[in-house]
Amino acid sequence: MSQLFDKEDVDVAWCKGCGNFGILKLLKEVLEELEVKKNSTVIVSGIGQAAKTPYYIDANMFGVLHGRALPVATGVKLSNENLCVIAEGGDGDMYGEGGNHLIHTIRRNPDIVHIVHNNMVYGLTKGQASPTSQKGFETKVQVEGVKNEPFNPLAVALSLKAGFVSRVNIGDAEHAKEVLKEAFRHHGYALVDILQPCVTFNKTNTYHWFKENTYTLDKSYDAGDFEGAVKKSFETLPMPIGVLYKSRKNTPTFEQEIRGEDAKALHSVTHDIAKIQELFEGY
Amino acid sequence: MQPRCNEKTIVFADETFGEKGDELILLAMKESAKKFGNAKYANTYISGILFGFLRIDKSFLIQSITEHFKEDEVNKEVAELGYEEGHKLENKSFEKLPNTDNELVQKLHLMDGTTACGFGFLAGGCNMITSYPMSPSTGVLNFMASMSKEFDIALEQSEDEIASLHMVLGGWYGGARAMTTTSGGGFALMGEALSLSGMSETPAVIYLAQRPGPATGLPTRSEQGDLNMGIYSGHGPFPRAVLAPGSLQECIDYAYLAFELADRFAIPVVVLSDQYLADSVSMIEDVDFASYEQRRYSVKTEEGYQRYAETKNGISPRGIPAFGDGVICSVGDEHDERGQITEDYKMREQMVAKRARKKSELIKEAIVPEVIGEGDIAIIGWGSTKGSIAEVLDNLKNPRLAQVHFTWVYPLSKEQLQVLKKFSYLIVVENNAEGAFADQLKLHDLKIHKQILQSNGFNFFVDQLGPMIEESLKEIL
Repeated sequence: MSQLFDKEDVDVAWCKGCGNFGILKLLKEVLEELEVKKNSTVIVSGIGQAAKTPYYIDANMFGVLHGRALPVATGVKLSNENLCVIAEGGDGDMYGEGGNHLIHTIRRNPDIVHIVHNNMVYGLTKGQASPTSQKGFETKVQVEGVKNEPFNPLAVALSLKAGFVSRVNIGDAEHAKEVLKEAFRHHGYALVDILQPCVTFNKTNTYHWFKENTYTLDKSYDAGDFEGAVKKSFETLPMPIGVLYKSRKNTPTFEQEIRGEDAKALHSVTHDIAKIQELFEGY
Repeated sequence: MQPRCNEKTIVFADETFGEKGDELILLAMKESAKKFGNAKYANTYISGILFGFLRIDKSFLIQSITEHFKEDEVNKEVAELGYEEGHKLENKSFEKLPNTDNELVQKLHLMDGTTACGFGFLAGGCNMITSYPMSPSTGVLNFMASMSKEFDIALEQSEDEIASLHMVLGGWYGGARAMTTTSGGGFALMGEALSLSGMSETPAVIYLAQRPGPATGLPTRSEQGDLNMGIYSGHGPFPRAVLAPGSLQECIDYAYLAFELADRFAIPVVVLSDQYLADSVSMIEDVDFASYEQRRYSVKTEEGYQRYAETKNGISPRGIPAFGDGVICSVGDEHDERGQITEDYKMREQMVAKRARKKSELIKEAIVPEVIGEGDIAIIGWGSTKGSIAEVLDNLKNPRLAQVHFTWVYPLSKEQLQVLKKFSYLIVVENNAEGAFADQLKLHDLKIHKQILQSNGFNFFVDQLGPMIEESLKEIL
């Protein structure tokens, strides 16, 4: 087992059996196998049990506020395109509190991997409905069960022409790893929605439930077919698992559009003072 | 406007405006303009009249009109005609304009506060700006956008002000010198990110151009109403600086200083402007941009680097990803020196104390207010009131009055306030209803003898502020 990205002397806050452990292991293995350097990897996370993941990985991290991982990650990528930037958090963090940022980050298309731990419940605040909770899901707040339509991240991402849209089930770690690796290899925004159980606050959507209610896209599925992917994204119960869409086009990324090809890291960008002087004197 | 007119006022108006009076000069402005085929020439015609009336060298007018309306030469003819008409008018009450000092003119530059702030931010090394447009702050965003063609500046219009400041934090974390621009309503949305800047010790520069609130308020008017928000917004205590320039030179100096302080102390810095300062055009003498030192405070890291390492002054050397072998863990949760989440009560107190020490260090940098005059009665102002107060005191010629102008408005230091001890009376002038700056002075046990406040959406006009000050003097003396 990989140890390169292990962080020493940390207290892991997750419950025994939590799906987050699988995702943590998966991410550390993928980073190592892709030979990404620790000091040039930045994991930005918001708030929630999922958002604690970077605290348990030995790499650069910025633990920000609830829902705000995406704009911070976008700023990081803009400052230095050579960094490998990951935005990570849960369904409440990314699809609820940060919903507006989700829309506009996809429109911008920065080259970041967006990992969303989707357990269909709020774990940190002890068991309220999340945007992806299924209708009828009962909680201490939704006492008569959830009435709202669940948020469909894949369909939303596709409607905004995201270049890479995927969903995996942490119950099938081997398959999840392949998809996550592909997300890292994609040049541009890549969404990986990871189904994972919350063993304490969601007794409905368990490891077993996810296994029963998902099916893996097979080799005959064409992930380059946009319209087919849109149709697929609306399939529920069973939910399709795998890369739903991967653009064949090499769309320029946000940072390339703003700063051009091979831009210098902003850390080393200073302005020509003589030029400031000259422009000022034009007034 | 009518209450402000007096025997020295001359009003030029179209002949359809009303009856002719001593101070009212009626001219066929629209009709004359129409002769040239379009009423739109009225502005050019009036410009000509004013130049003629004031006996200003016609060549300046014609040169300016020619440059401005390259594709419509009719304007030049209209200006000439207006000039002739204006010249014919008898100038009874108006004093002759002073002669132009051509040598001085060579050294003067004409611009608004927005542009001056923009040059200051450039001098401060700003290379990233992410903003959501909002009057009256948008000018700086526009300025930086125009400058992004000349310099390597990453610019993005964000989806909202929440994203703006979070992108700024991401930018600084990654090594950029980033800023955002906004007004009160947008700044309200930035509160949480400001707090994150404080806790994670990530620098940020926020240009806050005030307009009257609450809510949408008076979107295109002016007020100094957001000082308290600049000082107090964001949950939990953390060090920050609030700077309020009041002249073009101060716009440049303090916009530059904002980046300097943000970088050195790893704190958020708010530059307070307002609609009046942002949009007012005035003149500034030559500025030597080489004198604005290009310092950078981030460090190259080594393995084992700790983002929140203990130091005597509370400032931990700030590393940047991929510059050195260390990993940078910046955090919004309470943390240990590594940047790992902690609930250890001792560590919590240690980190609270570390951030407080940064404030103590910052306070040492507080800039003493400028004092103009020898009197024993201080007319205290901050930010954009500088020019109005100066002109009023110049007009009143009362030897007991002195102007005290604050640009470093938060945090205030004892040394900084020492200058106020020599005065017998303190009068604070603020363009807001509640006197937020006077409250700051009161927190430092200063007795304020009188407050002059206004909240009508305008700046202080010299002809109105003068009597307000005289009235105050009657009350306290």
